Amino acid sequence: MAGPASLYLDPQIRDWVLFPITLVMILVGILRHYVVILLQSPPKKLPREAVREQRALTRSQVLRATSANSPIPPTYYKSISRHLYDAFEAGTYLKDGPPREGEAPKGPPNPMTDPAAMDGMMAGMKTQMVMMVPQMVIMGWINFFFQGFVLIKLPFPLTLGFKSMLQRGIETTDMDVRWVSSLSWYFLNFFGLNGLYRLILGGDNSADSSRDMNANAFAAPQAAGPQDFGKLFKAEKDNLEFAEGSYTWVGDGVEDRVLQRYGKA
Amino acid sequence: MMALMSLATALDQLSTFRTNNSRSSQETFKHASVIIKSSQKIGDDGWAVLEQLFLAAVDIGRLDVADECLKQLSTQFPDSPRVEVLTGIRMEATESPDVVLQYYNGLLEADSANAAVWKRKISVLRRTGKVEKAVEELSQLLDTIYTDVDGWLELADLYASCNQYTQALQALSHVLLLASQNPFYFQQYAETAYTAGDLPLALKYHLIVVDMCERDLDDIKTTPPTGLAVRAWMGVKLCARRIILHSPPSASGTAIPKSINVIEQLATERVLAAYSSSKRDKSAMNREVVVSWVGAR
Repeated sequence: MAGPASLYLDPQIRDWVLFPITLVMILVGILRHYVVILLQSPPKKLPREAVREQRALTRSQVLRATSANSPIPPTYYKSISRHLYDAFEAGTYLKDGPPREGEAPKGPPNPMTDPAAMDGMMAGMKTQMVMMVPQMVIMGWINFFFQGFVLIKLPFPLTLGFKSMLQRGIETTDMDVRWVSSLSWYFLNFFGLNGLYRLILGGDNSADSSRDMNANAFAAPQAAGPQDFGKLFKAEKDNLEFAEGSYTWVGDGVEDRVLQRYGKA
Repeated sequence: MMALMSLATALDQLSTFRTNNSRSSQETFKHASVIIKSSQKIGDDGWAVLEQLFLAAVDIGRLDVADECLKQLSTQFPDSPRVEVLTGIRMEATESPDVVLQYYNGLLEADSANAAVWKRKISVLRRTGKVEKAVEELSQLLDTIYTDVDGWLELADLYASCNQYTQALQALSHVLLLASQNPFYFQQYAETAYTAGDLPLALKYHLIVVDMCERDLDDIKTTPPTGLAVRAWMGVKLCARRIILHSPPSASGTAIPKSINVIEQLATERVLAAYSSSKRDKSAMNREVVVSWVGAR
């Protein structure tokens, strides 16, 4: 270890390397945010039948939610519950109508052949490209021009464990860990600028790229992707039967509750 | 400074109107005109104000102002479905219903699940007396978008206007499922059941309203009922009296409570308690009417 002032940094490094890297990364993040906004296609309009199919489950969920203390009297509850049960059984709410006799039930559509799913995937890939390309370019730029540069000295001491984090691209073993290399400065910015973006662009921005590192273009559409409503409806039938078993009407014994409160029971 | 102050209050007032969904067209028109005239930058809120001003202007018949608003809105948002609905509303003000219906049908063809347009169409149908068609469309709308409480209320109202109270009760039971925290809907259900002639059911629902309204009273025996509770107690009294006299059947199979006589007495007490204030003004007269009604058999 050398003395207190082992290394002097040229102020020009600060002016022409440190600040430009930071500035470029901030600007690229902001640019990306707006490019992503531009690329976003408007949500696709669903036809009536599709909306109906999507929301059919809410009906029974709403009914079930209060079934233990239901606001509606038994006859009405039963008729709604029966109606939904039969409709789920027959597949009335399916987008393409109830399945015909002898027709094999269709599995979930293949995302590669279904144009609707394909669109969603393309949108995911497009944003993904906007995320990845500029980062690769910046990294290439830093690697090409500023490889092995030491940019900044942290004002506090650190343990040796930080060496691989702060001195990436500089293969020396005996430099003080407080010195930060250009590539490490890039990574620090890459992961650390999100707070600044949130300040500039608001909470729901798409400028931060570190977030996308672990998300890939295919995972997102598949999670929210094509659902087999036929199966969901079949499962909901059982839930309806359970709920019917636990049904009580809020009007049961309401007169006793009121009378009791007035001490007349 | 004064201008700034009034601008701030006007904006404040308008946003309260927006959140509370209150109509108050005259007020809205006054406040919004202040804001528009002040011609200051008010950001994105300005477009909401413009929409509000448009609706208020149509409501009070200032179509010139409405046209100006609509022009600005449609230049800012050329293909917005929301502006399309506003255009439809503007057409409803002057064009014949057939033209408007045609316009709405065209919009629905482009986007069949646009609930706002669909509802406008239903309201035009109802207004022009095609109740049957309106009921049909509204049922279809609710079949698609189940969670629309206002839609169910409108359907119940449509049925009630045709004296089909059982169907109205069915529609209202969906309202209760969707908004089971609102005692006013229960009260509506109770009164519809009463009109339908299902007295035991009406009694039950009046009691549920009472139960909901007076749940948080500390000293329940001495506090007179207020607000909705008075109406509910009167309903209890009315139903209980008629049940004791006639013991009517219930279409929904609701049993008549065993303690019906005690309930009737309690209801009498509560109704009288609500009108027992010692003030000597109009309430004295009201009290006499209520006392004679309560005493009458």
